[in-house]
Formats: sequence, structure tokens, C-alpha cells
Amino acid sequence: MSIYKKSIWVFHLNTGSCNACDIEILDVLTPYHDVERFGIKLVASPRHADALLLTGPITREALSKVVDALLAVPEPKLVIALGSCACGGIWYDTYSTLGGLNELYKVLKEEYGIPEPPTVRVPGCPPRPEAIIYGVALALGIMKQKYSTTKVRVE
Amino acid sequence: MSRLSWIKKALEVGVVTRKYPFEHVEIPEGSRGLPEFDSSKCIGCSACANVCTPDAIRVIDDLNEGVRRVEYFVGRCIFCGRCAEVCPVSAIKITKEFELAYKDEVKFIIELKLVKCSNCGKSFTTTRHLNYVLGKVGEGIPELITLCPDCRRKLTINSFITPGGGIV
Repeated sequence: MSIYKKSIWVFHLNTGSCNACDIEILDVLTPYHDVERFGIKLVASPRHADALLLTGPITREALSKVVDALLAVPEPKLVIALGSCACGGIWYDTYSTLGGLNELYKVLKEEYGIPEPPTVRVPGCPPRPEAIIYGVALALGIMKQKYSTTKVRVE
Repeated sequence: MSRLSWIKKALEVGVVTRKYPFEHVEIPEGSRGLPEFDSSKCIGCSACANVCTPDAIRVIDDLNEGVRRVEYFVGRCIFCGRCAEVCPVSAIKITKEFELAYKDEVKFIIELKLVKCSNCGKSFTTTRHLNYVLGKVGEGIPELITLCPDCRRKLTINSFITPGGGIV
């Protein structure tokens, strides 16, 4: 199992997303998909949370708030990146966004000296509710990662 | 609606919650998920990389190893399905796969061998792409097949300005 022995409480932070991912989060909380089966619930303060749920490409305006929220989450913390903007960075090479979580971790390491927290990334634009539940199951250690990098060389 | 009738309705409807991670879930027809890459069909024409809006598919020529690398990064994909639409050999197929969450980066890489120009030695396309084009145009002009576009242009122009010389 995972390092999280109790229910994961989640603080949701929109870092400049288009709200599609946020609607899917609401979907996951409805009785139909009901992520509270795993003890997950949204809380209003990062100090009460175990996990930070990030959506969006992390705009420059949001950066300081994201860092503050990340520092406020007590250890052991988990970061769940939702949507392709946050995990891979669709919006990169622009003046107004950082372009995904990797860039954020680079800033954290260089500016604040914080190592990378354990992260689960859920790609999709937006991800299906089932995909989000799969990501949660991956974080909790119920399921294993299905795909890994493959390299094929042909003539 | 009185409270009693609510209870009645709740009993009628029963449990609606899906048991998803512990049981199989049926995804509706036509929903787009992970694109599947068939490395036995791919010719490395980079049509998919041209249409890929978020640059999830990248095509990089590695001249040191002499390979063209078609690289698909799942974290950047928006699952629009345009790559499957434009693929001339239908090597890309859109599946309904959605269980893509990851802790370690997931990339699908296909490496294709490059052809070198017989005149200047510059790599210009993959063997498979060349064979594909040859299959479309028939025999072609044997002297021009193994030349890169630049050399081909020079040779054709030389044939015009040299009396009795060149190919055409």
C-alpha cells in the first residue's frame, strides 16, 4: 500500500485552467462515480490537506500562490496534476505560463531548494472521471501504472 | 414531495455508484483515448507531427545514429485524433484506452533508419518513406531516387543549361 494510511483530503487549486478539468472533478464527487469511497474529500485550506490537486498550466500570476499552497501542505504530501496542461504542459514557450509541472518543480528546486514531491499525473483534455479515479487508485497503491516508455527500432 | 415518497424513490432507484477501479467499465462508442502506434506500418513521414497541435508527437532526426525518431509523449496529448486522420498508411489508431495516469513519464518512440543522399551524403528521408513514394509513382527516374531534394534540383537545372547533358 501507499505511505498514506488514512483518508486523503484534497485541496483543489486552479492555476489558470479552462475549467473543463474542474467540472470533471465535480463529476467525480457525484454519487455516480463517488470518489468519497476512498475517503477523498475536498477541503478549503491546504493546511488541512494531504494532497494538492492542480489543474491548469500554472500561469505566472498563479506561481506565487501555488508555491505558498504547496509549502502549506504538511508532509507527507502528494501532488495530483490533472489535465494535459498540468502534466505535460501544452502551453509552453510563452511569456504568461510556466508550462506544466516540470517547470514548476524546476523553479521550486532553484529558488526554494524544495525536492520534488511524489506526483501522479492524469493526462486528458479533460480526463474522463474514470481516468481521474484511476489516477487516485494509482496514488493510493490500489492499481499499478499500465504503460511505460517503449522504444522500437525498425529498418 | 413528502419525505416518505423520497425514501420510496431512493429504494426504487437503488445504488447508482459505479465500482470502477474494482470492475471493468464500458466506455461509450466513439470516445477518443490513447492513440496506438503500429511500428510495423509507420513510414516516418512526420504528417502526424505536422498536425499535432500541442506537440505531443515530435519527429527528430538523429544524424549521429542515422535514425529518425518519432516520439509520442502521452502527458501532452489532448486526444483530438488528428494524427490518426492524416496518417497515410493508417499506422495510428485511436483506441478507447483511458487509464493513462502515470508516475514515471510515458513515451512511445519509433526509430526509423534514414537514407543518405548518394551525392552529398546528407540524410533526407527514411527508407520506408522512399519505398512508399516509389510505390505511388511507379519506377521513377533511377538516377534521382537516391538524391536529396537539393541535389535533385541542382541536377535538373544543370540538365537544362548543359546542352545534351543531365537526365531529362
